[in-house]
Amino acid sequence: MYAWIWRHLPGPMAVRVVLAAGLVVGAVALLMFVVFPWLEPVLPFNNVTTE
Amino acid sequence: MGTVEHLGRGAGRISGDLGDLVPSPHPRSRAPQQPDRVRTIVRGAGEALITLGLVLLLLVIYEVYWTDLVSAGKQEDATSALDTRWHDKAADDPGRQDHFTGLGEGDGFAKMYIPSFGADFQFTIVEGTTEQSLEIGPGHYTKTAYPGQPGNFAVAGHRVGKGAPFNDINLIQSCDAIVVETQYSWYVYRMLPLVEEKQGWAQAKGTDPKCKGVAPLGGPYAELDGQHIVPPTDGGVIAPIPPVGGTPPSEGEMASLMTLTTCHPRFSDKERLIVHAVLTKQWAKDPAKPDERPPELEETI
Repeated sequence: MYAWIWRHLPGPMAVRVVLAAGLVVGAVALLMFVVFPWLEPVLPFNNVTTE
Repeated sequence: MGTVEHLGRGAGRISGDLGDLVPSPHPRSRAPQQPDRVRTIVRGAGEALITLGLVLLLLVIYEVYWTDLVSAGKQEDATSALDTRWHDKAADDPGRQDHFTGLGEGDGFAKMYIPSFGADFQFTIVEGTTEQSLEIGPGHYTKTAYPGQPGNFAVAGHRVGKGAPFNDINLIQSCDAIVVETQYSWYVYRMLPLVEEKQGWAQAKGTDPKCKGVAPLGGPYAELDGQHIVPPTDGGVIAPIPPVGGTPPSEGEMASLMTLTTCHPRFSDKERLIVHAVLTKQWAKDPAKPDERPPELEETI
């Protein structure tokens, strides 16, 4: 998977490194700002109220 | 001598390896298609598992650190909004009576301090216990009493992440002060005796000067302990008569209590940890001395 992405990044080495770093940052941001906030209330470890 | 021999053998082997790396004019014939596909699948699975591991690690960082940062900002905003409101409203209320009407979900209305957790333990309590409100700070159960009122002033707070206001709430001891500041008053609640301290309270822990006004409550409150663990379905702990639930026959018999709820054990929501405190003192704020603080806030040991 990672090798495939690397092969498909255009440009010389320096450009590829920058693009790859950008992809990593994008994936982390997607998880931190979208996926985890959505997932969090579903997970069974942070309910503090009684019914 | 043996060492030299060993080195010699090793060196020989290394040079042999290097020899293998020199591209040969006749490349080794590729293995047939089948093993290559297996390799691709195995490598793909390995990469997926490593990725999953990294994502889970990131989730832990999110839960334990990231939400703390986000909540710290929200708590700060709520505190400054509350300070502004208290400052603005003070002029047009000559009676200096606390009103808790017109509070919206997530609005701050009081501050809480637990001096035994350190002088910096301070949180603005917001109205409501929804997920969004609790991200700001400890949240007041909307149907329960307000600070100083007879009944049960019940507050929920996170124990892990989101600022974790109630992270160490299990360490609070009987008679420890929980000070609640409202616009015009300071209310000093103190944790009630634990079940094992109730027997002979007056001769033992009850002699501590901190414990003035704290004693096992009688009547309908006979079953009430300072701290206990309940299943999440137990709504009775925030009722006017915890933990059994129900309401006393008259206002006069109703004690002024404060209840804190959080998840238990830490990192799990299997149970709830409950702390009950009783109102022991009220200080009216002096408009001439706005910076005056109650002596209970100095009980930092």
